[in-house]
Amino acid sequence: MSREPLFRRKTAISYKTEEKTVLRGFDLSDMAEEGYTFCDALFVLYQGRIPTENEAKMLNYETGEFLEHSMSPSAASAFAVISGRPNLPAAVAAAVMTFGSAHGPGAAHGYMMHKYIERARVEEKSLEEIGKVLVDEYMDAGLAVMGLGQPQHLDGDPRAEPTHLKHEELLGTDNVYIKLQRSIENYFNARRKKEGRSYVAVNMIGAGNTALCELGFSPNAAWCIGCVCRGWSCAAHALYNMKKGRAWAASKREPMVQMLDLSMIKYLGPDDREVPSLSERQEYAKKQKEEGEYKKWAL
Amino acid sequence: MGIIGNLDDPRLPYDYSNREKGTVPPDEKRARFQWASEVAYKNVHSIVTRGYDTTELVEQGYGVCDIIFIDFQARIPLEEELKMLNYCMIMALEDGLSSPANMARIVAGSKTILTQAAGASILAFGHAFGAYDAFGKMLNKGLALVEDGKTMAEAAKIIAKENIGQPHLGVSELMLKDPAAGRMIARVEKLGLVEKYIPLMKEVIKAVQELSDEPVDIDMLGAMGSAMFDIGFSPEATWAILAVTRAFAAGCHFMEEMECEPPVRLGEQLTPRELYIGPEDKPVPSLKERDTTVHSGQFATPEDWKKGFDAKQKMRGTGWAIVEDIADPRKMQ
Repeated sequence: MSREPLFRRKTAISYKTEEKTVLRGFDLSDMAEEGYTFCDALFVLYQGRIPTENEAKMLNYETGEFLEHSMSPSAASAFAVISGRPNLPAAVAAAVMTFGSAHGPGAAHGYMMHKYIERARVEEKSLEEIGKVLVDEYMDAGLAVMGLGQPQHLDGDPRAEPTHLKHEELLGTDNVYIKLQRSIENYFNARRKKEGRSYVAVNMIGAGNTALCELGFSPNAAWCIGCVCRGWSCAAHALYNMKKGRAWAASKREPMVQMLDLSMIKYLGPDDREVPSLSERQEYAKKQKEEGEYKKWAL
Repeated sequence: MGIIGNLDDPRLPYDYSNREKGTVPPDEKRARFQWASEVAYKNVHSIVTRGYDTTELVEQGYGVCDIIFIDFQARIPLEEELKMLNYCMIMALEDGLSSPANMARIVAGSKTILTQAAGASILAFGHAFGAYDAFGKMLNKGLALVEDGKTMAEAAKIIAKENIGQPHLGVSELMLKDPAAGRMIARVEKLGLVEKYIPLMKEVIKAVQELSDEPVDIDMLGAMGSAMFDIGFSPEATWAILAVTRAFAAGCHFMEEMECEPPVRLGEQLTPRELYIGPEDKPVPSLKERDTTVHSGQFATPEDWKKGFDAKQKMRGTGWAIVEDIADPRKMQ
């Protein structure tokens, strides 16, 4: 049995010998024995440091709050994948991979904040001022300002403002990320009000990712924490379906119409048409290409 | 339009020439589709898991590991159980350049996004690496034997004999010099959380040690699995929880790969001839020669099929040498 790694990479994250596993210099078993929490270990993993108590509390709050969100795109993925009854990890992986530019775009929000904090420094503006610049630049370009609005929680994500308040309680109000984020929220809604548009509250990217940034996590590390953390609840949803639901999600024997029941399909494409014979194919295909109607449907 | 291909064959189950077109109308007889869940719901103003509002939970001071308990077990854990889950998750977080980290690094090499790498790392968990599902089912079989009247030691001997040499056994040569697995079991005991899995596992260790010619002891799979089961997580839940836990560190490996290594382009990586052990190089027959140079892959009799099967097993990478056992329905009645 070879215990050599597949990749011979220099790594600053960890090493593992026959005697111990060491993460950023700390023996993992010693950390666990000492009574550190999983959240403490995440600081060691991503930042190479043990957090203050308040920092650990904030991460525990944020991840606890973010873990479960009932039916979101990620949970829907888990449900859909497990309906085919693959191994459970496939459904959980799919759930985590659902996170992208619309669902939980934490890294992008983090990079946006970094860019404007740097501009505040270079352009000698306050964070309040640069928040207004950010809002105007995004809105003038017709772009969505990240961290605001949630399609299901129309009056404001119930988790978001409490997360901001906990952030201010545990980490203070005088730090760069919370100041910039608050400024963005204020100017965004002031401008919308001036334009006669409704109020849009901060969402969990705006609140949660701001807290993670303030805690010292890089945009990608923060994104990883958020998205992977959701993997746990998606696993629970998948497991529920696996143990108590029906595979394939199309059974006629269920009292409720199932997700993949034939009646759930609404078709909006080209009308039914005859399949040309192979002898007609070349002429048919040429005409079809020339007419160009297919372009309406091409993806 | 005339008949196409075999679509007038009388053996078809219905008339293909006169099939209905269009989609199926909405089913008005049954309740409309809803995302049914026992785990959680949300409305415009709240998110509720197993009856608890998640914002109220965190405002009360509960945290991420509490909510894992709530999601999977529908209960708030004891403080000792919470400590033990934290312990297990710290130990599950990082494992050096093992499979999940490698998966994340390979995905990173394609210059993709973090969530793809984190998700890919979860796929590393199977029935060998991180085999908590298979391990738990093995122990559950042992516990079923105990319920049927066997002693723990007798049950352990049966499952040890059945599973010796398997990667999901939880007893191996992997941690003879690393005390971490033993310390984990001692912590479960110290916290007063021992239920039925750790006692059975201890008997399994003894049974495997008796059967094995080489020194073996409990490994991380055995320790972490039995600890997680004794705090109430099912094998499947354990599998998922710890795979996700590892994905946090896989994200870290993704980032390091992105920071320090160049991306890999299509066509860039070569496979040296000396690594190749397949058929010798040979000329491609012309299409005209095809009928005279190739043979079919069909077999008319079980005897011929068996000869072909054995021959095909010798060609690596075809899948024929992987023989999976499926349950015998005669034994399932």
